[in-house]
Amino acid sequence: MSFFGFDSTLPRDRGHNTRAPGFSQAADPFAGPRPEDDDDALDFEDTYDGLGNQLDEMDDVFNDDTFGDDAGPVTKKPVGKDFDFFGQTAKVSDAINEEQLRFSRQAPSSRGTPTASTFPQPLPKPARTGYERYKEPDYVPDMEVDASLWGVAPKRPAQAPTVGSPVNPVIPAGGRKMMSLEEVEASMRAQAKKPAQPQQPIQQQQSAPQQYTQPPQQRYHDYQPQHQHQQFSQPQQLPFQASGPPREEPRPAHAGQPHQPVQIMQRSQPTPTQPIAPTAPSQPTQILQNPNRYSAEQHRSAPAVQHPVQHPGHQSRPSGSRHIITHPQQLANLSDEERAAFLMEDAKRAKRNHKIFLLSKDNGLMTPQDKNFITRIQLQQLVTATGNPNEHGSDPSLSEDFYYQVHNQIRGGPRQHPGQPLSNFAQTYLFQTGGRHAGMRRQARGGDNHMQRMEQQVQRAVEAAKNKPKNKQLVIEGSLGKISFSNAKTPKPLLNIKRSDSAADAQRPSSGVRDRKVHQGGVSGSDRKTVLTDIENVYSTLMQLEDHERLMPPPLDNDDVNPELAGFHIDWREKEEKLNRKLWRDLKVHEPIGATTTHPFIAFLSFSKGKKCIPRVFRHITQEQRTTILTIIVIHLDHLDVVRQGLLQPGETQLNSATRENIELFSLAVTHTLFGYLNEVGLDIVTGLLGLILNINIDVIARTRIGVSMLTMLLSRAELIKQAGSNEREWDQWVGIYNAFFDALEPTLPNIFPGTVNTGEDVYVWQFLAAIGIGASPEQQQRLVMAVKDRVMETVAHAKTLPTAMSSQRLANVNLFMRSIGLDVELLA
Amino acid sequence: MIAASPPHPTTSSSTTTKPLQHPSQSFQDAVLQVSASLTPSSALVGLLLILQSLNSFFKTLVDHEVTVELKNDIQIKGTLKSVDQYLNIKLDDIQVVEELKYPHLSSVKNVFIRGSVVRYVHLPGGAVDTALLEDATRREAAQQAQKTK
Amino acid sequence: MADVDDGAAAPVSEPLDLVRLCLDEVVFVKLRGDRELKGRLHAYDSHCNLVLGDVEETVYVVEEDEDEDGDETVKTIHKKSEMLFVRGQ
Repeated sequence: MSFFGFDSTLPRDRGHNTRAPGFSQAADPFAGPRPEDDDDALDFEDTYDGLGNQLDEMDDVFNDDTFGDDAGPVTKKPVGKDFDFFGQTAKVSDAINEEQLRFSRQAPSSRGTPTASTFPQPLPKPARTGYERYKEPDYVPDMEVDASLWGVAPKRPAQAPTVGSPVNPVIPAGGRKMMSLEEVEASMRAQAKKPAQPQQPIQQQQSAPQQYTQPPQQRYHDYQPQHQHQQFSQPQQLPFQASGPPREEPRPAHAGQPHQPVQIMQRSQPTPTQPIAPTAPSQPTQILQNPNRYSAEQHRSAPAVQHPVQHPGHQSRPSGSRHIITHPQQLANLSDEERAAFLMEDAKRAKRNHKIFLLSKDNGLMTPQDKNFITRIQLQQLVTATGNPNEHGSDPSLSEDFYYQVHNQIRGGPRQHPGQPLSNFAQTYLFQTGGRHAGMRRQARGGDNHMQRMEQQVQRAVEAAKNKPKNKQLVIEGSLGKISFSNAKTPKPLLNIKRSDSAADAQRPSSGVRDRKVHQGGVSGSDRKTVLTDIENVYSTLMQLEDHERLMPPPLDNDDVNPELAGFHIDWREKEEKLNRKLWRDLKVHEPIGATTTHPFIAFLSFSKGKKCIPRVFRHITQEQRTTILTIIVIHLDHLDVVRQGLLQPGETQLNSATRENIELFSLAVTHTLFGYLNEVGLDIVTGLLGLILNINIDVIARTRIGVSMLTMLLSRAELIKQAGSNEREWDQWVGIYNAFFDALEPTLPNIFPGTVNTGEDVYVWQFLAAIGIGASPEQQQRLVMAVKDRVMETVAHAKTLPTAMSSQRLANVNLFMRSIGLDVELLA
Repeated sequence: MIAASPPHPTTSSSTTTKPLQHPSQSFQDAVLQVSASLTPSSALVGLLLILQSLNSFFKTLVDHEVTVELKNDIQIKGTLKSVDQYLNIKLDDIQVVEELKYPHLSSVKNVFIRGSVVRYVHLPGGAVDTALLEDATRREAAQQAQKTK
Repeated sequence: MADVDDGAAAPVSEPLDLVRLCLDEVVFVKLRGDRELKGRLHAYDSHCNLVLGDVEETVYVVEEDEDEDGDETVKTIHKKSEMLFVRGQ
């Protein structure tokens, strides 16, 4: 059975094993040189028109992609001599002639008149087409077809050149030979874009001496599948076909052929074609798809072309394997020169048309600029991925890539230098409380942490008080001997802060409700821009300070004073102080109190970014400045937006979400920072701050979460200082202030709880009550219990209706307070 | 214009029906596939650079899942692979949000989206450090101000 | 680095400086195609590319009533996004 549709009923063919691969004829008439027929052979050099030299060979590096394998057996197997165009031509041309003659002798008329359809028509269903392997996913073109394709001649005696049509003198000459010619042509067309192919002869010439020792199978393997594909894909390439030679047009039997090869060809053919784009970007384009490819391709393609690997096995060679003639050009040599010329021209035309077709198909889709985009993306990715150790962390790269660099350090991205400590920037943002892990959305959690810390502090105070009650009592009794509760003096202010208190008092509205209404609208429109500008200035200065921090010179060595280094330090400190003063100015903490409706710094804190910058500000200011900020905040506690808006109006059970978010943020950013600072201060400052609170509307403060948090902070801090031991004079002052505070607070105590008992958002209140309870005298504790008794009972009753976990949580909250005054909820049960 | 490419042979096993092909070829094919779905004018819109800070920002989102909303209302969800300064975007493992409405992309695995057709990019909030991003923006604003001085 | 002494480091002199003031503030953005966004501004650049957080998008769609000829009703579509990059132009 003949694959290409030749008369398969020839006597010689009848016995042929149809299971054999498509062209599988055992005998290979071209396989070996026949020196005796060495007559009028055409030399390859005579027929080669240099066509290949005109072709663009830039993209043959992609051959492996096109042909479906990379560095697989294909490239590893030796290149056979099949494509040894030059080296083998001389040896083999005589054999070709011989075979041609022999064919014509053997079957002079068996072919009948060749028709256009005769030639390439494949038989409807060859038992085995030789293409089966293409369907295999891991197809590797070391097919058995290789050898037989060229070696079928002996089984095809009818293939004699005697019956030639004028147009196609070659075609009737015999299936085998025609096949070869077609392949030459087809490969040329197919490779219009695949310059490697026409280049082949040149390659061969260059390596001719070498070729002799290298079986040229490799090339044969490489190109063979392509030829076959081309044969079947041509009909689908309409523009091309239209311009092709007429004999190619009718291919009715084509439908019977497997389509897989066709698809492959269609896909792969234009592959290296980048007609519009300059060749340079084409490779970076490829990188886009897979950065590893670029180098890999280069590696792969080079050996494939330059160093064909030996193919030791090649078991599939047909029986009686004489030397195979595989060179298409050699077959072309069999015909006369006219035909060769015609074919060449034909191929040229076809190639041109095909190229035009391919060019027009993708016209304008991608401009060189488009490709440059991709190149740039890719290069950026590469730069990012690899990083430049020299530039890493340096100022230029940081300023260019600030977000990425810092973000990577914070989020544990790939650290290029694991040993390197987090940069100052990373620390800034890592420890900053602006919602590190999920922006604004998870600040509730951060707030909880803060509340937990607060709770822990209160608990510590409560536990400490509880563990040594008698002892403490005695100590207190001893102390109390000197301090008369009933004779509490007016505390003297311990903080010496320059401010015009009188003006502030005059301006301040006395009623909390009125206060809230007055400030409900927040900062007015014109103020708003001013305040926002202030805040941005603060951020700007902060970033300068943070930049400056990174430039700190190495620490001075005590023993060896390096004058230059010392000079650097002096300069650095000068600059830092300058920046600090600037920051302090920007913060407007020292603006006169009462000059505006809202103090600039308090207005500053009404913006979320104003709140967020407080932790960063605290890192760069002195202890004295921190005290001042804390004082300003405490003085204006009832002016803070979070306090003003944090009051539940009658009938409300919950604040609106924006306010709650605001409160969370304040708690997280500001209270937390102040809390950290407060844990370092002495009792004098704590006493002073509580004294300041006495001057403002305690009723408002005690009914808001932020206010209560601040009070809890102060009270629990004082208790811890006391337990750690403090001097008596200070403690006396504290107790005095505390008593005044308790008296001021008492009327508010029944209203101190937010919402109803059901909401369960009263943890902070129980903490506050616990903080009050620890420091309270027995008489005060009595008053305290009286004030909140109802809520205690309600909560205990409510807890019984709740699931165990929630119930115990609620009871634990109550117990925090109960234990501070020496009681327990269990006593109530 | 956006371009969608079939999966790369080495990275996806779902492509056995498709022949191996050159990456750039698949890219071009994909351009053909998808460009038809876009209005011609959208491809002609002038290019727009995003500046350093945003480019730096997008780099941190690589390998995160984002949803790109195009000006023709198609939303494509996928893993961000790269973004350049023109906001051209490459996404892997994509899924069209309203798949039934836009079935023509259902077989496409990877896309390259030209920046000019992007309306929004929906980002995972958890992957964004807003405070840092704001400072990066301030830094760039300061740099720009320096340049114009 | 700007000189420390020149008072306001970046005076509000051009429109984008006003945008800078709105960083980390809730902003309202009108887009082409009858779209409005409300969200917290986290980033912008000189092309008005924006990054907004907790965004509410409102799209106004004009629909022609089928029963009453010629009458149009404006339908609003609301969408939300936790973090949104908006391409400027």
